[in-house]
Amino acid sequence: MNRSSKSKSLVALLAGTSLALAIVATAAARRPQEQQKPATAAAPAAAPNPPKPLKKQRRPPPAADATVERGHTQFTASCGFCHGADATGARGPDLLRSPIVAHDVKGNMIGDVVHNGRPDKGMPALPLTDDQIADIAAYLHWRIAEGLSSSEVPQGYPAEKLLTGNAQAGKAFFEGPGGCTNCHSATGDLANVSGKYSAVDLEAQMLYPEGKFKSAKVTLASGAVVEGALQHLDEFSVSVTDANGWYHAYPRNEVKVEVTDKLAAHRALLDKLTQKQMHDLFAYVHTLEKEEGQ
Amino acid sequence: MSVLRNRNANHQAVRRQQLGGSSILANIIRAASVLLLLVAMRTPSLSAQGLDPAALLQKQATDTWPTYNGDYSGKRFSPLDQINVDNVNQLTLAWIYRTHGQAIKASSLEVNGILYFTVPDNVYAIDARFGQPIWHFERKVSGDHIGHRGVAMLKDKLYFTTSDAHLLCLNAKDGKLIWDVVLTDDKLGYFATMAPLVIRDHIIAGVSGDSTDIRGVLTSVDPDTGKVQWRWYTEPDPGQPGSETWPDTDSLLHGGGMTWMTGTYDPELNLLYWGTGNPNPVLVGDRRLGDNLYTCSIVALNPDTGKLQWAFQPSPHDLHDWDAVQTPVLFDEAYKGKQRKLLAQASRNGFYFLLDRTTGEHLATSEFIDQTWASGVDKKGRPIAKPEATPSPDGALVEPGSDGATNWMSPSFDPQTGLFYVMARRIISVYYRTVEGQVEGWGGRDRNLYMDSTLRALDYRTGKIVWNHELGEGEDTAGILTTAGHLLFTADHLNNLLALDPATGNTLWHLNVGDHVVAGPMTYELTGRQYIIVPVGDTMYAFSLPEKTDAKKK
Repeated sequence: MNRSSKSKSLVALLAGTSLALAIVATAAARRPQEQQKPATAAAPAAAPNPPKPLKKQRRPPPAADATVERGHTQFTASCGFCHGADATGARGPDLLRSPIVAHDVKGNMIGDVVHNGRPDKGMPALPLTDDQIADIAAYLHWRIAEGLSSSEVPQGYPAEKLLTGNAQAGKAFFEGPGGCTNCHSATGDLANVSGKYSAVDLEAQMLYPEGKFKSAKVTLASGAVVEGALQHLDEFSVSVTDANGWYHAYPRNEVKVEVTDKLAAHRALLDKLTQKQMHDLFAYVHTLEKEEGQ
Repeated sequence: MSVLRNRNANHQAVRRQQLGGSSILANIIRAASVLLLLVAMRTPSLSAQGLDPAALLQKQATDTWPTYNGDYSGKRFSPLDQINVDNVNQLTLAWIYRTHGQAIKASSLEVNGILYFTVPDNVYAIDARFGQPIWHFERKVSGDHIGHRGVAMLKDKLYFTTSDAHLLCLNAKDGKLIWDVVLTDDKLGYFATMAPLVIRDHIIAGVSGDSTDIRGVLTSVDPDTGKVQWRWYTEPDPGQPGSETWPDTDSLLHGGGMTWMTGTYDPELNLLYWGTGNPNPVLVGDRRLGDNLYTCSIVALNPDTGKLQWAFQPSPHDLHDWDAVQTPVLFDEAYKGKQRKLLAQASRNGFYFLLDRTTGEHLATSEFIDQTWASGVDKKGRPIAKPEATPSPDGALVEPGSDGATNWMSPSFDPQTGLFYVMARRIISVYYRTVEGQVEGWGGRDRNLYMDSTLRALDYRTGKIVWNHELGEGEDTAGILTTAGHLLFTADHLNNLLALDPATGNTLWHLNVGDHVVAGPMTYELTGRQYIIVPVGDTMYAFSLPEKTDAKKK
């Protein structure tokens, strides 16, 4: 379970840097290959960096219209006793996994089952109208669509679900072994940080902030030094944007490169943090909204 | 062949006359003629178009890449050495071909000078020497279009899986549809992305789809008619061995385990090896307590019957979407002083597994990248999951993330170095269980916090890391090719195509190709020239050594 971190060659700058000031690169800088022109946005960004998008938000939750609402009511009354109030099965099968429902269009297949029942499986025939069956079908199709989207982590994910930790323990970790105060202050850069993000984004920002936080010192063969925000670094080339906003690029084999990563401490913490420490720390950081105005 | 010989003899005589009969020159010309003849012998005759089934049994073909992995073993090692460690710095562009479509994630086949490759809904045939289009087949359907890995070929037919989970048979000459059969019901959530595998008269195709709770299956069909020969289901039938690892019939029959990727085959043992996908529901295991066989498994099947011979499970009761569909790579090497038939997989869960492929006996398990989810390895060689790594409503910090320590990107085994190569990613992620109550399909999602990638060379016997080549931040998706020219081709995540020394990991050549590589490089030789093919975005790039200039010929 040994970890090998590639960041060991990076120099961590741990002292007295505020998070806001650290965000020198804008969202555009996430595509470093496009930075061929002078970067005019080298000044600290005014707004907090937008966090990494939540993954796999491919299916927005479907809207439930009046037909679905009627179908839900009808389903609960006529079918819920056997198939479960949410159609995921009880004495009868889970209808969200049913091939018949999967192939049904506006009740054309569900209708036969409802009208004729399935005597071999103990399902009685039910005297429902075609309209009622179409409503039930609409509800079941909506439930399947909802099932496909319900696993997404929404921006509005309730803070209460995330707040399982102990804020006092989190504060102690923040000020002690976490090493957070080497760079951050609860009343300085992080004052009201909780108000700047949704709860689930706050947790991600707390663990590993989104954005570019690397700067580089490039020493040329002549001895001249160029320093600035790191734009690109691979095995073959390095490029930086200097304090005046101008772009400079060099072949790696002709220069010496020293990279400073302001997130090195975050990266190191990700390797060490226990689940409890993470939840405690989040419980504490989430309180930082209330600090404002005190 | 006699015609060719006469033609060369005539050619030689004419040349000799022109050059006035100088004996040194004549010798040179004679040597050149022999070379020409050798080249001619390698050029397929017009009558031998199509893929001879025997080509599939060739262990190390040079003039063809007839199946997804190049051969049945899945090594992705080519015996070609024209492009080699001494001249790779002269590598140059031979041609490019643009589809103006979706990113190419396929490995091309190359048969008789024609490349066949795919993107979802589309098959392309292009000239492998000049990059000219030959034909293009399109069939637009609904279903997931996440990517496509390529076609299979037998004689004059191609086999193509589709986003609506059909298997199509196309005429390789013109791309015309011959037949179209349903593999699985797309209305239930199935789709297909994989390149089928041809074994004698079996076309073996897998399916995809874990958004809904459906049963994984591998289907073998007749090459001429598309008629189903057998089906092997990832979950055993109720009451059969392995069914006891599920709580009930309902969970068993909706247990997932998709057959996403192309398997490998040992003709001597007549065993087919396949990796299976993650169990359903995904990320939450409440409805499927138990090991959930044969999901997240490496299985050995009889390709004539679909009967299970043995199985090994890299991730029992998976809760992180870590399928075990990564190529089961086959090689024959020494193990503890004895020559063995081995099978190795670098699995999505971050562990390398070495098995005896005759019996399925477990030989070694080791981590090939950082991981925080397993506390150790059980007596069967399977990682033991920590309870605290279970996705939870308040989030569980786990490495690797669900995108995996590796994924579909092809590994490689180089018999010259004895090293197993894997594209390895450090992905640190928070896994949330979002669904309350009865879970259908996915029960949660994870969120990536940090990602970087590294190419790792492992000692095949132990999985111990021999060298490490960092490839930058982000999730690298490039596959790996090794060659007898002492070269390893892959790409970093900063848009550089790379040729490395497979013994040391040192960089020998690179080119910024302007986009990420999301497929595996492949290679072949045509009329005496070796080509390296790499898709980048919607563009197919062919590299080779510079052609001899006219000035040099004179």
